[in-house]
Amino acid sequence: MTRLGRRSWPLAAALLGGLLACRAQAPPEPGAPDPGAPEPMAARAPAGTSLRRIQDEGVLRWGVDPAGGAPFAMPDPRDPRRLVGFEIELVEQLARHLGVRSEPVEGDWLALIDNLRAGRIDLALNGIEVSAERAQVIDFTVPYYRYGQQLTVRAADRDRFRSLADLAGRRISVLNGSASVDVLRAAGWPEERIVQYDDSLAPYVDLANGRVDGSLAESIIAGYYAEAIRGLHRVPGTFAPGAYAGAVRKGEPELRAAIDAALERMKASGELGRIYQRWGVWTEEQRELGIARGPAVERIPLASADAAGGLDWGVVLRELALATGTTLALTAISMPLAVGIGLVLALMERSRRRWLVVPARLYVQLVRGTPLLVQIFLAYYTLPALGEAAGLGKALVWPAFAVGVLCLAGNYAAYEAEIHRAGLEAVPRGQREAALALGMTPAQVLRHVELPQSFRVILPPIVNDLVAMIKDTSLVYVIGVRELTAAALGIGKARLLVPQLLVAAAAFYLVASLAADRLGKRLEARLRSSAAQVPGARRLA
Amino acid sequence: MAPGDALLEVRGLRKRWPDGRVVLDGIDLALARGEVTALLGPNGCGKSTLLRCLNRLEEHEEGRIWLAGELVSEGRPPGRRPGRAEQLALARLRRRIGLVFQQLELFPHLDVLGNVMLGPQHVLRRPRAEARRLALAALRRVGLEERAGAAPAALSGGQQQRVAIARALAMGPELLLFDEPTSALDPLLVRGLIEVIRDLARDGIGLLVVTHDLQVARAVADRVLFMDAGRIVFSGTPDQAFGGQHPELRGFTAS
Repeated sequence: MTRLGRRSWPLAAALLGGLLACRAQAPPEPGAPDPGAPEPMAARAPAGTSLRRIQDEGVLRWGVDPAGGAPFAMPDPRDPRRLVGFEIELVEQLARHLGVRSEPVEGDWLALIDNLRAGRIDLALNGIEVSAERAQVIDFTVPYYRYGQQLTVRAADRDRFRSLADLAGRRISVLNGSASVDVLRAAGWPEERIVQYDDSLAPYVDLANGRVDGSLAESIIAGYYAEAIRGLHRVPGTFAPGAYAGAVRKGEPELRAAIDAALERMKASGELGRIYQRWGVWTEEQRELGIARGPAVERIPLASADAAGGLDWGVVLRELALATGTTLALTAISMPLAVGIGLVLALMERSRRRWLVVPARLYVQLVRGTPLLVQIFLAYYTLPALGEAAGLGKALVWPAFAVGVLCLAGNYAAYEAEIHRAGLEAVPRGQREAALALGMTPAQVLRHVELPQSFRVILPPIVNDLVAMIKDTSLVYVIGVRELTAAALGIGKARLLVPQLLVAAAAFYLVASLAADRLGKRLEARLRSSAAQVPGARRLA
Repeated sequence: MAPGDALLEVRGLRKRWPDGRVVLDGIDLALARGEVTALLGPNGCGKSTLLRCLNRLEEHEEGRIWLAGELVSEGRPPGRRPGRAEQLALARLRRRIGLVFQQLELFPHLDVLGNVMLGPQHVLRRPRAEARRLALAALRRVGLEERAGAAPAALSGGQQQRVAIARALAMGPELLLFDEPTSALDPLLVRGLIEVIRDLARDGIGLLVVTHDLQVARAVADRVLFMDAGRIVFSGTPDQAFGGQHPELRGFTAS
């Protein structure tokens, strides 16, 4: 599913690029500063700037993709709703210097910059490599980490493959969109031998499984994952060095200057060095960026497959149950909306007015003819730009959950419209005439005669779609909604237990689907047995 | 031009099907309160269509209809759809003219009481308790009060027909139209139906019964109309109609 997500992304990005001709500009938002916040390091920024808004709201919203995983950012194994990682600590510290609190906003890594430009976040900081290409669309802060590319091979091949050159003509796994991809391209690798994955763990799992012969990643990733998986060997030495930096919207010098100042302080004071030591990512090269090592601190232990015995399944299951709640909430809100919108569409299609029929048909064909995943990406990343273009400001910058509901409801509405149409057509014409002959208006006929009869016919297919939707809600994890699939993948990747967690998630989906199906069957049975019972008649008996 | 004191008066009604065939070719008729009129004629002569034109489930193109002296329809050119005001006028008209369909068309999703209550509650906009009272009274009249809670499908054909009659009666119509009411009844039930119809006439409701059953026409009607090829070719008492001295009826009565 994730793979599909990445594939469809370029389309959304291309559309977005076209729509986003002008840069997003935050409107001035009045608001009193948080009285509980510590004294801001910088003076109050000029009104109308993002920095001023951040100061006024007391929150720094920043983008991060936990799918990238440790040691950057991952769900806390003890409390998977929290994120931990060196970048989480880094931004927490950074926010403290700005006198505000840090609020990570989860989202797809490849879309971090789009989220930044859409105004959902004010800073993207998640292993984003400094590059001239990116610098054209965003402004980089000062770099905060120096990395190099490091090759990993299977331990059995350690004598065969000692360098990238030894792997010529072989398949190499990388993290999607990372600088490693560019390094391989520059070294002449054809696209089909650069195997890209959505997260940091999968390249190494596939290396261990033998689907690829080498894995190239930034040293920080290699250091973490190659060590955590048995049977892998990190080829000593790094090459093609680069640096990570934060990204802010262009045209916001105040914000960038404030972040740069805070970062420089953290570098010099050893705060950053301590964080790096704790997460085991300190290297001597960091000094090139002016980062002081600071006093030695103990490294926190790595998650690994060996630690599986220590996994607290009680915590994990509770976490999955909570995420199932999100999944069910998405379904419970979206499906009734879909049935309602579907009815409106069906009535439009049945109308004799062309100006109602044509848009309804167009909508149904368009929505049924395009993948839900593409719709989710488009809605999430282009709605803000559309709102901006329409002069609505930030009115269309909806949270991910709301966008998820919008897409699920809007997508399923097209299918429910067809179901409604079939159901209404199944009501005999004579029933309509009999109701009209009583003096009912067409609206009353629909409400009291046609819809109740249609409903009995369409209940089974609607229940069928309800069950389908429970599972389709998993797609909205691509925009950062922490539903069941996202939670399972998050915990699984953090603890290197992806298969186990996916099986557990599948079990939750199965239970939810069976329950929904049973509920539907009971409703059907009740309608059938009481085909004619109206309350008035019951009281009469 | 004003009609007399007839309950329903029709003058010069004409209608063509979309393919141009003439189905009603200048119908004139008058119905009186408390009178049962039987409308006879061969299949395809237009009698059911005429019935549907009277409560405007079908629209005619020419001619006028008065109900209790009030002009209720002047026809409508084909293809034009009714506006909002006209739809309300239609609904008002249909409250006053009940129609019992040949196929009955009871609502299967409601029980007997629900079927009969629907009109009073939503069309007459009576409070629920009063709508129920009206419905139960209508059911009592056709002798089905005790089956109020049953599903229509659980009733016999004769009982279902009486529910359909009660559904129309609950609206308090001035005129009640029956489309082939005996076509699905066995002879024993036909007698019961005739009694119900006579009983309604005694209460002052006008009744128009489309049928091709001569025995029924003879037993129930105060007046008999014969239709052929979109025209009314005979109007008279049952005795006149079935006396045999009318050559235009001979072909039909003999068949």
